[in-house]
Amino acid sequence: MTGFRNHPMLELRRPEVRHDLTAALAALDRELPLQPETLVGGEGRRGEGETSTDPCAPERVIARLGWAGVDAAERALDLALASSWPVREPDDRAGVLERAADLLDERRHRMTALVVREVGKPWEDADAEVCEAIDFLRFYALGAREMAEELVQAPGERNELRLRPRGPAAVISPWNFPLSIPCGMVSAALVMGSPVLFKPAEQSPACGWELARLLLEAGVDADALALLPAAGDLGRWLVAEPRIATIAFTGSVAVGLEIQRRAHEAEDQRQIKRIVAELGGKNCVLVDSDVDLDEAVPAVARSAYGYGGQKCSAASRALVHEGVADRFAERLAGAVELLRVGPAEDFATDVPALIDPDAVAKFGRYADASKGAELARAKPAGGPQYVAPLLVDGDRLPAETPVLREEIFGPLLTVERVRDLDEAADRVQDLPQALTAGVFSRQPDRIDALIDRLPAGVVYVDRAITGAIVGRQPFGGNRLSGTGARAGGRTYLRHFADEQVVSTNVVRHGVVL
Amino acid sequence: MDEALETRIRELAEQLWRVEPSSWRRPAVALGRRQLGSLDGRPALRSAMFRFVDAAPACRGPLDRGAHLRAFVREVDGEPIPPTLRPLRSRVAPQPLLAAYGLASGPATALLARQFIAGRDVRSATRNLRAMWRQGQAFALDLLGESTVSEAEAEAYSKRCAETLRVLSEVTSEWPEQPLLDADLHGRLPRANLSIKLTALTPLLRPLAPEVGAADAARRLTPLLRLARELGAHVHLDMEDFDSRETLLLAFEEVLSSEEFRSAPSVGVVLQAYLRDADETLDRILSSPAMTGREVPPTIRLVKGAYWDHESVIAGQRGWEAPVWSQKRESDGCFERLTRRLVDARDSVRPAIATHNLRSLAHAIAYHEQRGGTPAELELQVLRGLGDELAEGVARLGYRVRIYTPIGDLVAGMAYLVRRLLENSSNEGFLLRQRHQSLDALLEAPA
Repeated sequence: MTGFRNHPMLELRRPEVRHDLTAALAALDRELPLQPETLVGGEGRRGEGETSTDPCAPERVIARLGWAGVDAAERALDLALASSWPVREPDDRAGVLERAADLLDERRHRMTALVVREVGKPWEDADAEVCEAIDFLRFYALGAREMAEELVQAPGERNELRLRPRGPAAVISPWNFPLSIPCGMVSAALVMGSPVLFKPAEQSPACGWELARLLLEAGVDADALALLPAAGDLGRWLVAEPRIATIAFTGSVAVGLEIQRRAHEAEDQRQIKRIVAELGGKNCVLVDSDVDLDEAVPAVARSAYGYGGQKCSAASRALVHEGVADRFAERLAGAVELLRVGPAEDFATDVPALIDPDAVAKFGRYADASKGAELARAKPAGGPQYVAPLLVDGDRLPAETPVLREEIFGPLLTVERVRDLDEAADRVQDLPQALTAGVFSRQPDRIDALIDRLPAGVVYVDRAITGAIVGRQPFGGNRLSGTGARAGGRTYLRHFADEQVVSTNVVRHGVVL
Repeated sequence: MDEALETRIRELAEQLWRVEPSSWRRPAVALGRRQLGSLDGRPALRSAMFRFVDAAPACRGPLDRGAHLRAFVREVDGEPIPPTLRPLRSRVAPQPLLAAYGLASGPATALLARQFIAGRDVRSATRNLRAMWRQGQAFALDLLGESTVSEAEAEAYSKRCAETLRVLSEVTSEWPEQPLLDADLHGRLPRANLSIKLTALTPLLRPLAPEVGAADAARRLTPLLRLARELGAHVHLDMEDFDSRETLLLAFEEVLSSEEFRSAPSVGVVLQAYLRDADETLDRILSSPAMTGREVPPTIRLVKGAYWDHESVIAGQRGWEAPVWSQKRESDGCFERLTRRLVDARDSVRPAIATHNLRSLAHAIAYHEQRGGTPAELELQVLRGLGDELAEGVARLGYRVRIYTPIGDLVAGMAYLVRRLLENSSNEGFLLRQRHQSLDALLEAPA
């Protein structure tokens, strides 16, 4: 893409940069709790009864608000259908995204601090997330300007491929990337001319609120973007609603499949909905006998335990060649024991608290299922939502254990010993999920042969398997892990538009006029 | 420009330049160099060979090693392949062929490594160290090892350091007197000289929270300093990449400002001239309570810095301005400026100028002379395997030379070895520049 550059991350290793962020966090704390509103037609409506809290200190309330009801969603949908946003010049819409990117850049410290607080994400990941949000805005703006495609032309005819807005899009976003993922989905829909009904995750309404306000401030028409903070029931309403043309969803495989089932149940369906879904993974890292453990061990640890494993790309299983399995497990166990569990705002923290009590309970079930097979555990911090990160010997788990098949979304990694990486690839192919995968090996032909056998949407070689960057690692899964769109890739925007081919006869009276 | 200084730089450089190459005495070295030189201008082959050298010690036996070599060689595209490697390019390679290549490449890699690494451990390296001492060369020993990711590994490294300090003081005590190496104007110089990597002393290195790693490293450094004091040894704290710099400086400041170590042991730190803020770092070191008022002046080793590519890549991936100078002449200019500052501070520190750059080296000596310094007041350092010719030249000028000498096993030493090979076969590398460039070009003033 011409002229695209990733937004620079903050150089957090410099003390003055950390100081600025700490100051921004203190300033944000003075504003708490935020009071996100339901935004429809540019008008805000405040409610009450619901809160979002700091996962690392649940007594700290980040936002007080009320859920939006179906009535608000109905109004938003009526406005969206009547909006003139789809007929605004594509260049205009791209310009709005670029202004939003600039605004977000101006507010990056505050937004980073909000991500740290509302979802308990450590600074480095929170900063990367703000950069990703800015990247999405700029990348999609540029992409929308460069969509034109040349068709084959023949004498006497002119062929064009045009892209048409599809109509209202519902964006249902997750809490683990509370800013960048909704920013990517909302801005892709908007730039292609779809008005958006945006339902942020229940756990992160304040991030959604700040994002929606920023987009409106940047110039999105008031009737083209509604913010509908709500629980899952409103999501289900949006999915079933026949007037919604596109559903952009990031979340679990179970919900993703439910969306597929429910999307077309209404009687008066007028279109096949486009469903752009990013779903979960059960991501494996394959470690060959010739690896440099100095590189592989820290990279695997970072992939598995960064943000407490609460990334869809996180490493969940390590499949290690028997020639290095013992050394690998021993060194990794040593590293896991040293993981620092603590508040996200502490720059020394490796693993923060889990997002909510449900996540803690779910993690507890997998930890229980791993009893007797533990290789290492880190010390948890004091607080209700902290858990002890675990390294588990996969070979000592029962054959059909869910620990080896289900997405855990917590700080637990299993290590399995394999005869060779072909056996590892067999095990990976047995899984229905195919989001990310990692290969650590130093023999080029072996690496290539292995990659051919891995169904994952994104394969990382000799590096950590998290941290995809816009334009560099377009992100998305295969099989049950998604519908195939690659966020931050050149083809992503196509999913948010209808194609229309126009072929015109330019022959009049036997001559080309 | 200081004409007199420039004239003297030229004279000194010519004397260093004319040193007889000693490689005829070490045919393996000459052979290795010729092969490395032949990789110049063949980037794909060079990359393939270095990736092989990097992976070779991790292979399981000759067959696996041969298969790796073949995979790397087959990746080379559009460059002539040396005839000896051509059979590997064929579409099918029978196992005996792979095993044969694997068998042959093992010793070849080991031979290459021995140029730069003096032995597996301190006992096996003592013969080398004694031979160097006889020739008038002191050493700074460096323990190559795996990186430290766990508590146990930090403890193991710390034990290794302690053991090495003991062995070094034991064996060096029987060596004959070498007046230039044994004392300078400030007093006695310890013979046992160990470089310590603080990043290996702690598994808690966190660039975002340097105080955490610093406290942990300091905890393990303290007993090592006590041991060095007891043995009369020198401990040098090595500098590594920028991510770890603040941790290192904090640990060094914390431990050495304690009253306990005010009189001993002899200690040193490293200053990296390729960093844009090297001048400020020197200010910080010189004014640190860890430095001021020590009875034995601390040694400051000035180096250019070994992580330039690493720093540039990291910065490039994250959109940062790199902490290192982007142009070589900027680093060289900074090196000369810092050389002058260290020479001028020689009443309170022991300057050690570590370089293979002919101009930087000649400049250090010329400036030192100009400021009325005597040879005993300035130490020059080179890396084993890379600066042998320069070391001989420096010694003939009557200056003290210390060879930075790594020891360790081959697997652990690969990261170090590959970096040295890259330097040695690149256009910037001293040995190649010597072949390709005129003395005039080498001696151009950097500023």
